[in-house]
Amino acid sequence: MFHRSRRNLARWFTWSMGSILVSFASAVYCIEVQDQLTSFDQALLDKIQVMAASVEYRYHRGNWELNLEHVPLLGSNSLPLDSNLVYARWYNERGQLVQFVGAFPSEQLEEQPTFQTIRLSEESSELLRQVTFPVTHHQILIGYLQVAISLSPVQEAIAQMRLFLSVGVPVALGAITLTGWYLGGRAMYPIRNAYDHLQRFTANASHELRSPLSAILSNAQVGLILPMGDGQIQRDRLSQIVKTAKEMSQLVDQLLFLSRSTEYLSPEVLKQFDFGVWLENLAVDYAPKLEAQQLQLQTQFPLIPVLICADPDLLRQAIVNLLDNACKYTPAGGQVCLRLSTSVRFATLEIADNGIGIPPGDLPHIFERFYRVDSARNPETGGFGLGLSIVDQIVKVHRGQIRVSSTVNRGTTFTLEFPLL
Amino acid sequence: MRLLLVEDDPAQLDPLHLVLSEVGHVVDAVTDAETAQWLIEQKDYDLLILDWMLPKISGVSLCHQYRSAGKTAPVLMLTAKDTTIDKVTALDAGADDYLVKPVDVVELLARVRALGRRSPQWIGDTLSIANLHLHLTTLKVERQQTQVQLSGRESQLLEYFLRRPYQVLTREQIELALWEWGTEPESNAVASQVRRLRQRLQAVEASDWIETIYGVGYRLSPPPQSA
Repeated sequence: MFHRSRRNLARWFTWSMGSILVSFASAVYCIEVQDQLTSFDQALLDKIQVMAASVEYRYHRGNWELNLEHVPLLGSNSLPLDSNLVYARWYNERGQLVQFVGAFPSEQLEEQPTFQTIRLSEESSELLRQVTFPVTHHQILIGYLQVAISLSPVQEAIAQMRLFLSVGVPVALGAITLTGWYLGGRAMYPIRNAYDHLQRFTANASHELRSPLSAILSNAQVGLILPMGDGQIQRDRLSQIVKTAKEMSQLVDQLLFLSRSTEYLSPEVLKQFDFGVWLENLAVDYAPKLEAQQLQLQTQFPLIPVLICADPDLLRQAIVNLLDNACKYTPAGGQVCLRLSTSVRFATLEIADNGIGIPPGDLPHIFERFYRVDSARNPETGGFGLGLSIVDQIVKVHRGQIRVSSTVNRGTTFTLEFPLL
Repeated sequence: MRLLLVEDDPAQLDPLHLVLSEVGHVVDAVTDAETAQWLIEQKDYDLLILDWMLPKISGVSLCHQYRSAGKTAPVLMLTAKDTTIDKVTALDAGADDYLVKPVDVVELLARVRALGRRSPQWIGDTLSIANLHLHLTTLKVERQQTQVQLSGRESQLLEYFLRRPYQVLTREQIELALWEWGTEPESNAVASQVRRLRQRLQAVEASDWIETIYGVGYRLSPPPQSA
């Protein structure tokens, strides 16, 4: 499943990025070709204008005379203008050939555009750029100058660019594919983690829900199957069903709490209050439960107000969960301590007991959902292993920290830190 | 049949224990694997019903140990795990059958009956001697078109006799076979149970088939003319 998604991500990435790359490269190529041709034509035009300027047209003895002697390349006593001129021709104003240098041209000038790209011969790949330029003298057309230059420098430049692009674009596409694959993996990693986590959670939740369901179902069925005998047995069975159903509803509540997205707290539930005073009230409420277990409660609160911003109901649930654990795992005659202290930025609450403690091997896992320290898993004390993960979640939502330290048979201390206002 | 039922949650164990006893099985019900291990070594069971998730030793490893010890009685696994991998794991560890929680009691009883048919002790759903038949599924005794309904305990006793006809059975043997582990039968418990069974058998005129061998125990022997 994740492999397929990763492949898809990489494919889409390659397609989109590749299309962008290819269109960009094509655009660059076209602009470059256009650019080269324009500058080439401009150079050619300059040359032909120089040539046209050297055409002499004079009124001599009642006649207009045309003298091409000084025209570069065409004329005999001219300076060579450029070596890469392939041919030059002069046609008169009626388009008839008068004089030429280079390849043998047609007698009559055909109607053609100023600039034209022609092939030197049928079988050669070399292209020529030909320009046909009407020469005027005082707005009177006196003839046409036609010149051709080899396009090979432009052709070479463009060929080089084509080569570069035809190698570079596939290489870049390959790099994009690899990058897409890598990025897809990076993107999948947290999703996969969350998915695995959810799978585990679901498996555990279904297991935990099935056991009480099984108890309810079999108790009820046995009640129906067996003949009505002893009323006491029937009553016991019904009270067993009630007890199990209550446990189950508690479990469902906890599961709902954990599965709700509590990424942040809505501002309307947040209240500012003095943590110390609030804790004292909580300790007073909780004291009877500790007394019933024959445990001593010790409290240490600072005299100055400790202002925090929190959801009091959630905070209460977290602290009661921790106190419940302290009660469960501390033998009668033991002590439970609530200590609040402050530093520059944090309020630190310690909840310590001197009970049975947690084995070092279990410590890293106790905040995991459904994790139960095996020795603690007995019917008298056994919760579902969700209490501490709920505490963890509540503390995290308040942007706080939770730490635990424990020694077997010496006791356990949970340390909660909340940012001060 | 003699069953061992292992389940760590009493809320699930008690009803199953009750209903299995009621339909005529002798059930040793325990909540921890260590006791179960000890019992498996001490006694021969016709069927084991094991919960997978037990503290300390899992039901699967218990099953595996049982099979490694060369025991062949069928094993039924109960568990809340329902993936294919879990089922394969349980069956490969030597379980014969598998029930996913929540367990439907009616289905459980049917599976127990089905597995019982595979037990080496099984000779059919009806045990017979001469013209007296005990239907194990309905707990009814039949002779010459007359039927009488027995209680679970009575049918267990009759079944025990029917499986060992003409043998003298001591009071201790009967106690060991019929009373569950952890219960202490009173000194005259066997005698009163036999008396109750004889009263039931009067309805099919077979109350004198169970003889008392004074100082030793009891014996099931049908009179020759009824054969």
